[in-house]
Amino acid sequence: MWMLSFIPDSFLHLVILGVIGIGVLTYLAIPLLHFFPNLLPLKEPARILATVLIIAGVYFYGSYDTEMSWRKKVEEQQAQIDKAEAASKDANAKLDAVRKQKQKVRVEYYAQVHERVREVEKQINAECKLDPVVPKLINEAAKNPYTAGSVIVEVNK
Amino acid sequence: MKKILLAIAILSLVGCAATPHGKETFPEVPKDMLTACPDLGTVDPTTTKLSDVVDSVTGNYQAYYSCKDNVDSWINWYNTQQKIFNSIK
Repeated sequence: MWMLSFIPDSFLHLVILGVIGIGVLTYLAIPLLHFFPNLLPLKEPARILATVLIIAGVYFYGSYDTEMSWRKKVEEQQAQIDKAEAASKDANAKLDAVRKQKQKVRVEYYAQVHERVREVEKQINAECKLDPVVPKLINEAAKNPYTAGSVIVEVNK
Repeated sequence: MKKILLAIAILSLVGCAATPHGKETFPEVPKDMLTACPDLGTVDPTTTKLSDVVDSVTGNYQAYYSCKDNVDSWINWYNTQQKIFNSIK
């Protein structure tokens, strides 16, 4: 069928109908050969040619029809795909909007938390002095286990 | 006659099958979803201030929720795109 896609549809349709038409006309013209005795030897070849043209024409018409039905199916499928792609973009836009809103809320919230920590910084530092092992432990805990290796924390005795 | 039959035989090759199909592209993802989760923040190892630890922990909580949101978004994106994909008959 792929060869058909290189030929304009209307031209192809015309050619196929033309082949069938010529075959039928040739068949109908065979009896007229009796009026021209000189052409009588062409009677048999003309009959064969007409038969071949009609059979080929019908075959091509079938191929053409199948091709057109496939093209219609492809167009329907492409329309569904275009619709799905539009729905996909729409869903992405909605997701993006929700994400941006969440991010805004998150940033504002943690800015407030950091601000609160700043406000009570002196108070909490005045009443607590950390053992040097604490930041080391926290940093070990924050490491990714896949890259951290073994935990070695020296505790001052 | 042989030439005609040969031409018809060659022309009949137009009947060779080809599988037509629509062209679909892989669904896109919001660009910021493609960023990896950050590593957790650490504390200055020499600090003795509790406020520095609280700061670090707070920052890590924020990073966690940012990462969680990314993962949730991926789940949401996958489920939505799968539903859209399955709607194509």
